[in-house]
Amino acid sequence: MAALGAWGTAAGPARLCRVARVLWGWRARRGLGQDAGAASEGKTAKPSFTDEAVQTLLYKMTGLNLQKVFRPVKMELKPPKYKLMTEAQLEEATRKAIEEAKEKLAMPPVLKEREPIDDVLAEDKFLEGTESAKYVFTDLSYSVPHRERFIVVRETNGVLRKATWEERDRMIQLFFPKEGRRIIPPVLFKDENLVTVFQQDRHEDVLNRCIAQFEPDSPDYIRVHHRTYDDIEKHSKYDLLRSTRHFGGMVWYLVNRKQADDLLIDMIQRDLLDDATSLITLYHMLHPECPSAKEAKEGNIQGVDLIKVFAKTESKKEGYIQLALQAYEEAMAASRAS
Amino acid sequence: GSRLLKGYRGGHVVIRFALGGCTNRPFFRIVAAHSKRARDGKYLEQLGCLDPLPNVYGEKVAGLNLERLRYWLGCGAQLSRPAEKLLGLAGFLPLHPMTVTGAERLRRRRAAPSAPSMDPEKG
Repeated sequence: MAALGAWGTAAGPARLCRVARVLWGWRARRGLGQDAGAASEGKTAKPSFTDEAVQTLLYKMTGLNLQKVFRPVKMELKPPKYKLMTEAQLEEATRKAIEEAKEKLAMPPVLKEREPIDDVLAEDKFLEGTESAKYVFTDLSYSVPHRERFIVVRETNGVLRKATWEERDRMIQLFFPKEGRRIIPPVLFKDENLVTVFQQDRHEDVLNRCIAQFEPDSPDYIRVHHRTYDDIEKHSKYDLLRSTRHFGGMVWYLVNRKQADDLLIDMIQRDLLDDATSLITLYHMLHPECPSAKEAKEGNIQGVDLIKVFAKTESKKEGYIQLALQAYEEAMAASRAS
Repeated sequence: GSRLLKGYRGGHVVIRFALGGCTNRPFFRIVAAHSKRARDGKYLEQLGCLDPLPNVYGEKVAGLNLERLRYWLGCGAQLSRPAEKLLGLAGFLPLHPMTVTGAERLRRRRAAPSAPSMDPEKG
């Protein structure tokens, strides 16, 4: 395991700083209020993406494949560094690696689509025809957070209105450029080009670029993420996202739309029974009124029986799940016997 | 004498446009400077910028550091007329009266050639 000495994480800190900043902004602004509200309403409220329990479940399912998390990222070439370590030092290094991997696996926020801005500040109709182009004024005060910045547009017909979200993003990127973000969104994010990229199995790259380019509540971000998740679900390429920070978001999306059957089968086939049970627990948390949830609560069922109950009552691919479970049990029996 | 610290007799701080850019490509910086300085010379602080040519989206982009602008206005800085007009358009200051007058004059000039036999206007 001397290869552990050659981690290239130069891009890691930059990326995780950005994600951490985004997360802090979102958690600090939204998370406190939402969690407090959920706690006061009790279990009847629909669990949100940021709840402790939901996050633990999603995090468990994401997995922690160190080899995949720290696989070489395309950066400038540096010769690998080799270190000579004792057993104890190696364990210490592995522990630190696991902590760093946990930070890298921090899930990007899942938010509702933002409302379009439609606010007129002044109407001066007599200015019509004086200017040939509209003016966009941006407030460049350094200490103002980007969400609260004043960006106004004086149109050619004299109307002074607040800028739309797209204009806002463009202006903020112009004056306060962020690494990895372009002023005009790349052509990659159009639907027809996404298809090409998906055929090359580059879902993770697309999602990373999407996170860098768009705000989490912009319609483009949500659209690209949903397209990616749909494509993965259609071709059952779940393993592409496993052990990345996008896995939680994907699971959340699928469970909300009750399309998690294929994922369940995939997990059973890879012998990830714990993940399968967490998936079903999450499903019950999100849809508490469904029959399998009620049965599970009454019988207090655990483990493989939970999957069987779920397969019988809720899923549309009952046959496949039963087959997968059978194969798993046979494999377990064979390995125990031999 | 020493050229290190220039002292002026009279003069005041103005917030005005400093022209930069290249041939046929102007670019203004909104700048707080002494009134006696050259237009593009040493300034106290840059408070923003204005691109007078429209971009691909048909907009003239202007940035204004309102926090520092408020500071300099509080220090007693004057504004040049184009700066006042720009801030009026932005909504930071009320609309400049010359903007309104200019709009009316333009409208009159556009209306006049089409109907030269209109009644002579007063004043």
